[in-house]
Amino acid sequence: MGSLGMNIPSGIVVGISLVIGLVMVIVFAYTSDQKAIHIAKDHLKAHLLALRLFQDQIQVVLRSYGRIVLATGSYLRLAFKPLLFVIVPMTFLIVQLDRYLGSVPLSTGQAFLVKARMDNADSLNQASLQLPDGLTSSAPAVHVPAESEVAWRVVAEKAGEYVVHVQVADQLFAKRVIVGSGMPRLSSVRLRGKFWERIFVSAEPALPDNNFVGAIDVQYPARNIAFAGVEWNWIWLFFILSLAAGFLFKSILGIEI
Amino acid sequence: MTCGHKSSQIEQTRPLVYLALLGLILLWPLPSHAYAGPGAGFAVLSSFWTLFVAFLYSVYAFFVWPFRQLFRLLRRRKAYGKAQIKRAVILGFDGMDPELTERFIAEGRLPNLARLRQQGTFRKLRTTYPAISPVAWSTFMTGVNPGKHNIYDFLARDLSNYLPYLSSAEIKGPKHSWKIGKYNIPLGGARIRGMRRGTPFWHWLGEAGIFCSVLRVPVTFPPEEFSGVLLSGMCVPDLKGSQGTFCFCSTRPSGEKFREGGVRVPIERRGSRYTSYVPGPEDPLAGGSGSELRVNFQIDPEPRTNQARLTVDSETFTLKVGDYSAWIPIKFKSGIGFSAHGICRFYLKEVSPEIEIYVTPVNIDPARPDLPISHPVTYSIYLAKLFGPYATLGLAEDTWALNEKVLDDQAFLAQCYANHEDRERMLFDALEKTQQGLCACVFDTTDRVQHMFWRYLDEDHPAARGVPRDQRPSVIQDLYARMDELIGRVMKQIDDHTLLMIVSDHGFKSFARCVNLNAWLHQNGYLALKSGKTESGDWFDDVDWSRTRAYTMGLNGLYVNLKGREREGIVEPGAEADSLKDELRRKLDGLSDPASGRAGITGVFDCDAVYAGPYVDNAPDLLVGYGDGFRASWDSVMGKVTSQIFEDNLKAWSGDHCIDPRLVPGVLFCNQKISDEKPAIVDVAPTILKLFGLALPRHLDGKPWTVGAAIHATSAATAP
Repeated sequence: MGSLGMNIPSGIVVGISLVIGLVMVIVFAYTSDQKAIHIAKDHLKAHLLALRLFQDQIQVVLRSYGRIVLATGSYLRLAFKPLLFVIVPMTFLIVQLDRYLGSVPLSTGQAFLVKARMDNADSLNQASLQLPDGLTSSAPAVHVPAESEVAWRVVAEKAGEYVVHVQVADQLFAKRVIVGSGMPRLSSVRLRGKFWERIFVSAEPALPDNNFVGAIDVQYPARNIAFAGVEWNWIWLFFILSLAAGFLFKSILGIEI
Repeated sequence: MTCGHKSSQIEQTRPLVYLALLGLILLWPLPSHAYAGPGAGFAVLSSFWTLFVAFLYSVYAFFVWPFRQLFRLLRRRKAYGKAQIKRAVILGFDGMDPELTERFIAEGRLPNLARLRQQGTFRKLRTTYPAISPVAWSTFMTGVNPGKHNIYDFLARDLSNYLPYLSSAEIKGPKHSWKIGKYNIPLGGARIRGMRRGTPFWHWLGEAGIFCSVLRVPVTFPPEEFSGVLLSGMCVPDLKGSQGTFCFCSTRPSGEKFREGGVRVPIERRGSRYTSYVPGPEDPLAGGSGSELRVNFQIDPEPRTNQARLTVDSETFTLKVGDYSAWIPIKFKSGIGFSAHGICRFYLKEVSPEIEIYVTPVNIDPARPDLPISHPVTYSIYLAKLFGPYATLGLAEDTWALNEKVLDDQAFLAQCYANHEDRERMLFDALEKTQQGLCACVFDTTDRVQHMFWRYLDEDHPAARGVPRDQRPSVIQDLYARMDELIGRVMKQIDDHTLLMIVSDHGFKSFARCVNLNAWLHQNGYLALKSGKTESGDWFDDVDWSRTRAYTMGLNGLYVNLKGREREGIVEPGAEADSLKDELRRKLDGLSDPASGRAGITGVFDCDAVYAGPYVDNAPDLLVGYGDGFRASWDSVMGKVTSQIFEDNLKAWSGDHCIDPRLVPGVLFCNQKISDEKPAIVDVAPTILKLFGLALPRHLDGKPWTVGAAIHATSAATAP
């Protein structure tokens, strides 16, 4: 992967942050009442200045605190409308990005757990794991009756995209496992039902209904992105960079946020 | 004028701001906010930021509060310990006339003033010599005669060249500059020096720990430091450094120049669009070459709908004919890092067949003041944030534009009352913020409207002869009624422990006839023109100083061309000068208008007798008191010698007060009884100091009034 490979994720986050910052500012401009926001912010500043200008007059100071709270509420109300326009597309976009940027694939030789969550603890004894070539089990299955969960420790011998199967009675349930490097689309969990949860946390088809297995889980390590000499979770970096980009573009475009 | 002034408070808080921002970034955001994207981040960050700053300030205020209270207690014990009042509210109505007020009270137009007269006091208030606003308001605030505060007129004369300069403040460029090729980089900001001497009474109140809010009192530019807040009034310049230069943009070609107060700018056609510009201050990088900065704007006329769309910088707005825009921020740029921020309003006068647009003088932007217009600097910013942009120019009502017929009566009144409404909002905010102490606010509207509309009040004013009596608008009657209504609202805001005082600096009379005193001096052998000349240009162009013994400029001052003082003085100081002054007084006093036989001059006053103080040498030698209906002619004020001594005043500026001060006293209303029968404006300062229990500085000329028993003794109740 080399140094270039190390830089690709941070480059992608920076690029996305800049674009999203710009888009958000433009969306904000067109979906908000710019004049009202300007006035609300001015009132906030005025009440802050009043604290300083009339600092010896306790009544004025107390009234100004009250007005700051009211003006803040007014500003948040005005900022809420553009938020409604962006929150859904932004959420889906970030969920998708998280599948590429949130975690790294498993490494060869690295032990990882495959967990199956059953409907009830009675069925734990019926569950077994079938591994493809390249993956080996390194320890016996561990049952956690309190969680209705069974876990297998597995080690990958070589890089590749694998499918492991959890067998319960005569049924097989597949789960994708990726070993290697780069930025493949990762899904840590495969779920049964739970549409909204699947939307947010899973990138695989739902498990079939009417079976014992509720979820199959493989935990990928979190990805750390090197930027400005610091290791970042991508979402923090995105948050800060997109905000910075937003503030930069709002100044350039003369948009009130 | 170009480099931004930065508040010291903002400078002081900057490290705190950075620290807080860092803390905010590190500690506050949660992943959930990131999932909502930057839109939510902006909102959360901004609002949290405000609350965070407020919280930090609260913590700071909490810890220092006991010390501040102790300090205040010690200071205020001096004042409130002997105070007769908790709060004084002084409303100044520039030019409110006692005779008109009485007349309108009798007509039932002024119920609130009638109530004040009945329950408290109404007197004529003796004004200053001369009865000119900067002089009278300087005396009002300092409690001394002009010989001690150094303001004798709007203008003073430069002894080295007989040219005028603004008497109240001097604005110069930066002391040092760095010349690179054709550019001149200014090092530092503009230098401003206040010329008014004496100490305003709110300074003494502030020293004693009594909080003061002072709004738009004339001759408070540049603002002086004291314990309170102050917004400067009359004498604040526009961004060009003048006392108000409007801009008239037109597609009609005209070579005529405005006599004063405005410039013509062409509107040029470029394709389907029209362009013009707003002239701004001198380019600071041009090294005094006189080249001005400009801001261009585009006009898209829509004659069918009688409107036009204007684009100024990034701002686009539509105006109908007869409409003013809101205040539009404009930025004059001069190279990297040099800019001046102003605000102005656009008025669409005509859109077809020609396009004509009036632009107000470019006011200093109160939210980003390039010159200090308030104390502290943040006060003007505070008001701008709270109420939006507002006129900051000292003479913000554009009387010149009406005089030059660029604005009509309606447009001028709309401008006046828009400014007035802004000031009313500021007053009521100051009243709310000043529950104890002094709240003083001066309204200019009364002065400007009377100046411009007296012609409709007069029976036979030359400027309104074409308007039938029954078609004359009742502008001045409406003005007084409007001020009375404002007074009523203020009276509702005050309690029994508040002293309410309504004062004006002078009254008003008709200005129907102009007197060119320079013409009289010329025709009577006191002023000589160069050989072959029968008239002079402005500012004594073509005057032969080697044969001139006396001259006049400005509104009331008459000067002896004194040897050793004036550059080309010929009159020996001492006996010769005294003799000349006596001679001039004798001849001028009672000078009659041949057209009517009425006295054009009713008094000539020797300044040595009228003034006393360290600045008497800067005063004129004589003050001319014009009679009722007369005033110095427009030409005479500008140092011009004409052939006519008396002539009709045909301008809209048709009322005035720069006459014999005995004819134009101001008003004094008070919600308490005042025993003095002949109060003067010079007494206001000592009276307020006394009411707050302060010892009177010895140098004051005014005498405190005895304010009646109706005032509640509040010393015990108001002591902190």
